[in-house]
Amino acid sequence: MEAPMLIPPYPVPSNLSQPFWDGTRRGKFLLQKCGACGAYRWTPQWLCTKCHSLDFAWVEASGDAKVYSFSVVHRPPLPGFKAPYVVATVELAEGPMMLTNIVDCDPKDVKIDMKVKVTFDKVSDEISLYKFRPA
Amino acid sequence: MATGIKDRVAILGMGCSKFGERYDAEASDLMVEAYREAITDAGIDPSQLQAAWLSVAFEAMNIGPSAIPLSMALRLPTIPVTKVENYCASGTEAFRGAVYAVASGACDIALALGVEKLKDTGYGGLPVRSRGLAYDMMANSGTAPGFFAQIASAYRAKHGVQRDDLKRAIAHVSVKSHANGAKNPKAHLRKVIDEATVLNAPMIAEPLGLYDCCGVSDGAACAIVTTPEIAKSMGKHDIVSVKALQLAVSNGWELQGSGWDGSYFHTTRVAAKRAYDEAGISKPREELSMFDVHDCFSITELVTMEDLFVSPEGGAMKDVMDGFYDADGQVPCQIDGGLKCFGHPIGASGLRMIYEMYLQLQGRAGERQLKNPRLGLTHNLGGMPNQNVSAVAIVGRYGD
Repeated sequence: MEAPMLIPPYPVPSNLSQPFWDGTRRGKFLLQKCGACGAYRWTPQWLCTKCHSLDFAWVEASGDAKVYSFSVVHRPPLPGFKAPYVVATVELAEGPMMLTNIVDCDPKDVKIDMKVKVTFDKVSDEISLYKFRPA
Repeated sequence: MATGIKDRVAILGMGCSKFGERYDAEASDLMVEAYREAITDAGIDPSQLQAAWLSVAFEAMNIGPSAIPLSMALRLPTIPVTKVENYCASGTEAFRGAVYAVASGACDIALALGVEKLKDTGYGGLPVRSRGLAYDMMANSGTAPGFFAQIASAYRAKHGVQRDDLKRAIAHVSVKSHANGAKNPKAHLRKVIDEATVLNAPMIAEPLGLYDCCGVSDGAACAIVTTPEIAKSMGKHDIVSVKALQLAVSNGWELQGSGWDGSYFHTTRVAAKRAYDEAGISKPREELSMFDVHDCFSITELVTMEDLFVSPEGGAMKDVMDGFYDADGQVPCQIDGGLKCFGHPIGASGLRMIYEMYLQLQGRAGERQLKNPRLGLTHNLGGMPNQNVSAVAIVGRYGD
């Protein structure tokens, strides 16, 4: 008998985050940019973190980042994750920091300050996850 | 102008269930176990309770929605009962509700009770949540150890620390908590361990091994509070009063290229400063007798010692290795075993920490009793390093 396929939980887009996930599905890395003060922000929020303005636009970001901190997970939370894998905080060129995975390299080779580039992992017709690989 | 909570509320009684894998008990059993100890300690009749707060982090697991489960289990006298949830800081949140109710004059005697019943879900860690914006954005990344382990990497990068040196320091954090927990009859894990055991344990999320991570427990803890005047009129002596109660909640600042470097908890520093101000403490390292912090992971405890301004920034490793926080050290930390060994029933943990401070201040901590403690601090954190709630409570002898 074939074992059931186990998949990790996928994001469920909200009204606010839908444009972001629409972007990743099309291979675009979008961030909210404040219409008043120009600050980028992450995670998606209605109010600007810096000036509280409600005015914002989704703009395509560079996808450039560097590793701020990281760990290698050996015991995943659920079946379906393939351990070991790297969870990391990356600092985007636009300023905000983001929790993500570093892929396409040996976990042993990940270093703080390493330059990385966004990449997309299509896991369903609706969802492409954002991950980062060595630049 | 607000003047703060200092000395306006006294703890009348406290109770705590045995923590652990309580397959013998339902949530209501645990609630009653903690409550009976607390109300006996308080020496009041249940009809004197005028308001209550219930804290649960995972209500869907064996407890159910609303405040009704508490009111039913304790047969409370049809009073206002409020249910609160604030991640792993939920227990302190319930305490805060009861304390503020008494401080405001809305009632004379209030109760706070936290409970969690998770061990019979068949799952080792915390149930995985995948709804809500924060989870949508992080679901691909995984585990609590994976998030908290990154503090270790950032701390090393900031302070130029070698991996093995940090690993040994956080190992000592766990060795110390196990030594303390072994003396606590209510603790989940009562086993003395040595450094080699910690260093050689299976890796969970680099550099955190098995003994760097606290588990999850079943349990409940309860506090009954009133004013110091009422406590005195009831003939109570050695009164323990609340000196400070602060809570700081992330607003997203940490991730906005703001200068946060990932090696500390911004919220804890904010809450600690406010709490010291409220309690009139200027030199925490000298003035605090003891503290119980949120050691969900050994690295969390280590950086929290700095975030609470007890160790200087970059100095916690030295203090830990010098035994400053050991049971016979200058400011003992996790004298009851902490989350690591006393256990972590999420909704009860904040109240469990206050319970130990209360016992110590009243000289009733048995084999763990410290010599003449006067001021104890508890720190209760929920969430992830970049986005969390941090509660700091300070309790001490009334009149000091």
